[in-house]
Formats: sequence, structure tokens, C-alpha cells
Amino acid sequence: MIDRSVRILLGKELAQLGRSRAALVSATLIPLLLLVIVPVPQLVAFSKAPINIPELPGGGPAGLQSLRGADFFVQLLYPLLVTICGLIVPSLAASYTIVSERERRTLELLIALPVRLTDILLAKLLSILTLGTLVTVPLFAITATLVVILDLAPAGTMLLLLIPLVAAVICSTCLSLLLTLLARDFRTANNVNGILFFPVLIATVGVLGAVGGSARFFVLGVTLLTLGAIALVIGARWITFERYLD
Amino acid sequence: MPTALAFESVTKRYRNGVVALNGASWSIPVGARTCLLGPNGAGKSTAIRLLEGALRPSSGSVVLLETTPGTPEYADARRRTGIVPQSPGMYTDLTTSDYLDLVRRLYGRGDAGRVIDAFGLGPYQQTMLAELSGGFRRRLLLAAALLSEPEVLLLDEPTVGLDPVAAHDVHEFLTTAMQGRSTLLCTHNLAEAEALCDDVVILRGGRVLLHEPLAELRQRVAPRLRLRARQPVESLVAALARRGLVAEIENDAAVVSVDARRAAPDLLRDLLGEGIDVFESVPLEASLEQLFLDVVRA
Repeated sequence: MIDRSVRILLGKELAQLGRSRAALVSATLIPLLLLVIVPVPQLVAFSKAPINIPELPGGGPAGLQSLRGADFFVQLLYPLLVTICGLIVPSLAASYTIVSERERRTLELLIALPVRLTDILLAKLLSILTLGTLVTVPLFAITATLVVILDLAPAGTMLLLLIPLVAAVICSTCLSLLLTLLARDFRTANNVNGILFFPVLIATVGVLGAVGGSARFFVLGVTLLTLGAIALVIGARWITFERYLD
Repeated sequence: MPTALAFESVTKRYRNGVVALNGASWSIPVGARTCLLGPNGAGKSTAIRLLEGALRPSSGSVVLLETTPGTPEYADARRRTGIVPQSPGMYTDLTTSDYLDLVRRLYGRGDAGRVIDAFGLGPYQQTMLAELSGGFRRRLLLAAALLSEPEVLLLDEPTVGLDPVAAHDVHEFLTTAMQGRSTLLCTHNLAEAEALCDDVVILRGGRVLLHEPLAELRQRVAPRLRLRARQPVESLVAALARRGLVAEIENDAAVVSVDARRAAPDLLRDLLGEGIDVFESVPLEASLEQLFLDVVRA
């Protein structure tokens, strides 16, 4: 299914990511913070002393109705953290694999070999997706397991939370294609990431607030995948070797 | 004769409006060693990138081993072509060995050990690419380009920025590597082109000014003779002028357009008879630099 050249280049990208201490530390530390270190104490606190959200006038948006005790954490707070984390990890990896290649002009080494620019970029996107998934899913599993053990939510609900997590990783990976077009160096990449993430975060908060029950995870997943698809189409339409090296 | 590569009315206009190639047409037969000469901005590197398939022509077509970029057969043509890019960036996290292994796998053939030995890269197998010196970086690029024993070799300024010793080493490698291979050497080092190639394509402003075998090109330039005399060079120039010859002064010698074999003996007899003590008379072969300047200035 995946072209042989892409598989070979993917191996190279993963090897390079594995050797980059800075990439690994930043791609692991932030998810550790967002998926485990920050939520676990809150989770324990919620399990010991559940809080009740006061009723909003008129009942409020569907997503904020009937949130009692640990529901606030499971249905609202943690999905938000999961989505932010799913967005951040691929963007960090993209800065190392895509922007650094551009900054150091090493792309010229690759393009002299019998590969196409699309092969090179596809391999990079797949490596970002792989790293994003490998880092976030196990960390998510730690907290999700704790939630189930503490009997704060059923295992099925926590499994549904994988939908926005994986969708966020995919969305961010697709957004990194736009990053490829817009950022020439790390500093610009960080700024561009902020600009690209803003509408995604607004959409995430909007969905979590507006949609009630477990449906919010599906709607959030579809929203993120749609945004990712839009980024992918724009990126694929505009990216050329000429633009990449500009 | 089958062509190794060809440009057919190729125009390449960049997004910023710069026209790098402007209706350029030329072709290189299989086995020819051709240098692509031109001043900076003439379109040499653009030509290489079009052949790589990295850039697309705005109009016209580029042919590599009978295929055009974008066709299914082009991938095979690229695997039969070795390319040395001009001063690319070097990875800080890939070793020489990693990179050559990547090259071997992408080409689907080749013996990394053979090129490592041939280019003296043995001691640097575990060195990160960015830590190699300029000369060894260029050796690595040549090793990568030749690893798969390609039929076509595209070289983009292979010695630019190298010290004389490293440049000499690269020339030695190229002399061997180019034997029997269709080669396009982009350079503005005229001595390099003269030493390594048989044909020359001269580009200026994206247009082909000339495409000829070097030997034929030399014949088009008037033969020259360098004369030195014991008297001041101005006296020698004046004596030549009295015989209708316009001389250029180069250092303390006078250079005139004269066919040495046919006209020099009479000229020397005349000058000596007039009391001009000529002690040196050297026929000058037209250098590529002279040819290049003549063509570009014309």
C-alpha cells in the first residue's frame, strides 16, 4: 500500500527522530504533563470530593448540562487536555523533521536521489503520525486505566476518548503540511503553530461545550478530521519543491 | 544516436518572475561528456533541477533517458542517473554509512563498501555528515552518485568552494567516474570543463548560445602567437603594427593573431631583420576561457 521509497524514507525519519534528544524530550515531556501529571492529581481529588457544577441559567449549552462530580473531568476537562496534547506532539515533531530539513537545506541531498518530493513529505508525515501515536496513546492509557480503576467512568467511555486523541494527532499531522509551506525556521514554526492551532482549539472548546453525552467525542473527532483534511488539501495543492525551498 | 538527456524549448519561470531558462534546447547523446557553462544565473542549476524532476518546466519538455518527468518510466530513468547536487546541507544526525545505505536502498542496487573504499571514506563511516570536511563531503556526494553504477551522471558545480588540493582529488575521481558515462557537468570553472569534457553548451540569460565539441570550437578561434623581445614590449608592438598586426600586451609579451605554422617564420625573420631581438615565440592554443569570453561577449 505504501510505496517502497516512502517506507525506506520513513525508516530514515524515525531513526533521525529517535536520535534527536531534543525532539524526544519535548515530544514526551509535554504529553506527560498534559496526560498524566496534571490530570492524575485532579482525578484523585474528584474521586475523593466530587464537585457539582451549579446549574446555568436556562440549563446552558448541552455539553455543560448534567455534569456531576467526576463527569466534569471525564467529559470536559480531560477531553480538552487530550485534544491539546494530540495537537502539540505532532507539531513538535514536525518542527524537527520538516522545518529543520528546510532550515539546513538537507532536502537537496534527498531530492538528488531517486525519490519524489511527495514521497519525502509523505514519509515525514507518517513519521510524525507514528511518533504522535506512540507517545500519546500509552500516556493516555495510564490515566484512562486509573479512571476505570477508581470507578469514575466505564471503560467504554475512556475508549471513546481515543477518538478525539487519534483525530487530534491526525489533524495536527495534516496541519504540519501547512507548516511546511509557511515556516522557514524553528521560531517561525512555533509562531505558525500557534496561529494554526487557535481555530482548532476554538472548535474543540465549542464542540465540547455544545454537544452533550458521549456523542461529543464522535463530533469532536469528525471536526478535527475535517480540519485536518482541509489542511491536507490546501497543503497538497500548494506545496512544490520551489515553494518548499523558497 | 540515442540521447541521454534533452531539453526541448524549455522555459522555466520562477514564482518571483525570474526566467532561468528561456526556450532552451539542447541534447546530449549517450556516452558524451558535456559541460554546461555560463555565468552566475545563466540557468545551470535550474537545468539540473529540471532533470531531477524537482522543478517542472513552465513550457517545453525535459527528457532523461528517453522519458519525461512525471511519467511512470521516469522513476526508472532516475534510478539510472547519479546526481551530485551543489553544496547541499548536511545532516547532523546521519552518518556516512547511514546515508550510503539509504542511497543503496533507494536505488535498489549498489555496493556501499566499494564506493567507501574508492573514495577513501573508510575512516569516516561513523562520522555524522555535518562533521565531514568540505573535501570529504564532496567525496561522499560523488560516492552516493556513483554507488548504483549509473548510466548518466549530473554534476552541479562539483568543486565549487573547495581548496586546490580537495578540488584536485575530486577531478581525479571524476576523470575515472566519467569514463563511458553520459555526463553533464555544470560549472563555471573553465579549466575543469576543459580537463573533463568533450562538448560544451554555453548558456547566458537562460538561452543556449552555443553547443559544440570543444575541438571544433577551438578551430573557430583565430590562432595566436606570443612574442617576447629584448627591447621594451612597446617597441615590439610598434614593429608589429607596422606590419599591420594589432598586438595585445600581456605582462611583458605581445600577443598577436597569427597562424604560427604558416606565418610565424616570415614574421620572425622580418622582426629580427629590423633589429627587434625576439627571443621567444610561443603558439597559444585557444583556451576555453578565451572561447567562453568570445562567445559570451559576442
